[in-house]
Amino acid sequence: MNELIITLGALALSGALATIAGCAEDLESDVGSQSNPNSQVQLAPQMGNIHRYYNKAISGEPVSYGLYVAVAGGVAYSLMNFGVNPILSLIIGSGVAAFVHGAYAVSAYLGRIVGQSKNFGQPVYLDIIMSHLGPIVGHGFIAVFCMVLMAYLANTILGNPFPLPLIALIFGITVGSIGSSTGDVHYGAEREYQKYPFGGGVPVANHGDIDIKAEIGLRNSLDSSYFCSRLGGVLTGMCFGLIVFLDGWRGLIGNIIGKDTYTSSIIAIVVGLLIIAILTIVNRKIEVFAREKYGPYQ
Amino acid sequence: MFDINLIISLLEITIAGAIINASVYFIPVGGAPAAMATSTGVGTGTTQLAAGAGFTGLLAAAIMASKVGLTPEGIALILLSGAIGSMIMLGVTMLIGQLIYVFGVGVVPAADKCEIDPITKDPQKPYITPGTTGHGIPTVCFISGLIGATLGGIGGGLAYVALISLGFSPAVAGTIAIGFFFINAVLASYNIGGTIEGFHDPKFKKMPNGVIASTIASFVCGIIIILMAL
Repeated sequence: MNELIITLGALALSGALATIAGCAEDLESDVGSQSNPNSQVQLAPQMGNIHRYYNKAISGEPVSYGLYVAVAGGVAYSLMNFGVNPILSLIIGSGVAAFVHGAYAVSAYLGRIVGQSKNFGQPVYLDIIMSHLGPIVGHGFIAVFCMVLMAYLANTILGNPFPLPLIALIFGITVGSIGSSTGDVHYGAEREYQKYPFGGGVPVANHGDIDIKAEIGLRNSLDSSYFCSRLGGVLTGMCFGLIVFLDGWRGLIGNIIGKDTYTSSIIAIVVGLLIIAILTIVNRKIEVFAREKYGPYQ
Repeated sequence: MFDINLIISLLEITIAGAIINASVYFIPVGGAPAAMATSTGVGTGTTQLAAGAGFTGLLAAAIMASKVGLTPEGIALILLSGAIGSMIMLGVTMLIGQLIYVFGVGVVPAADKCEIDPITKDPQKPYITPGTTGHGIPTVCFISGLIGATLGGIGGGLAYVALISLGFSPAVAGTIAIGFFFINAVLASYNIGGTIEGFHDPKFKKMPNGVIASTIASFVCGIIIILMAL
């Protein structure tokens, strides 16, 4: 029973860490303007909108986060094999990943903006680099540390047979794909286009015509993270937390109810199917709510 | 030197590749335009989302494999567990994405590639913002995504089972499975060429060509993997 309680505790901690990691990852991609909405920041100078957004699409979010978390996991794994305390190893690993992240962030900004300077007149703002680099690397560090700690828990307590760096890579890719699928929509479809009325998608003709003015003065990407932390970031965190928790929880329920390995596995699969059915019903309810509340456009 | 088990593993790897490729066509991805609510589906790339879901399934399959072993019943449980892990990942992601579309952007989920939703029979066209090709994740896309996730999880799990039965350690098998998954997902992604809404999208008809390409690529990969295992 003690083992079960420890497993439940590790699972709860993993869920909490995943929530923080997802939220920090999404806010990092908003400050740094990574992922799909960055296409608009890249397009803006060509449409005559000279902006003060940070511009770094190092690669797709899943690949870049896969890299950072795998770097952190790889360094931590090596240090642990040298006998360093696990928590200290994870912190040092995340620190190394933060440096890698920072190096990519600066080179990506300079490369992307300089590429647009000559033809479209977009200036390189050094103060934007100096003011944004801290939040970018800071949010990245929080996300990477949480995930590498989750990977450590998965490896040592939750019975995952993969080594730490591989689990870290998988978590990094997963959080990147979640972040770019959920939270970034709030940044891309709403924050970048706040000057257009609320309640519609962005027509193709308006692409690149992003908001360059803030509540006071000119807008920079720090304002975006403030705005997105009220919905996009939180929901991204909840998304990753729910995935980690629900997927682990169904296995745990199986272990508690099932008498042997087979029955517990079958129970875990049935509980999983129930969770999926509930998700489908809730999705439909939200769709019906939106149709009734907002109505057709024509 | 060549026994029947190697042939079975080669077949498993080839079939797994074809299934992974097929799975990508079901997953509703709107690419970059969906992140601006300009097209229907999840706002990310096809490969990225399929990989995210497939790897969650792979983790679930690996945990199950370490518990039940490689008996026929065990393999069935591994594949099912991979499918469920994948479906939970994609289901939650699509649901939370939907919440942001509805409450953060204020749009109604609407598919552009069908006049009425084939599952709910709701009309779609009047709810699409003029100048866009739909937005959000309507029920038909959600169901299609869940089918895609099931196939992705089964494909990833099958590849992992084949690799484990070839004698690779879980670490090596997991690494190869990730690479193998990316090969097949990228092949599908190139064939789709951007965005797809799900099984009701005309682009879905491209699937047979992609599956054939993936079957050939996976067969070649399988031979290389078996040579590595010998």
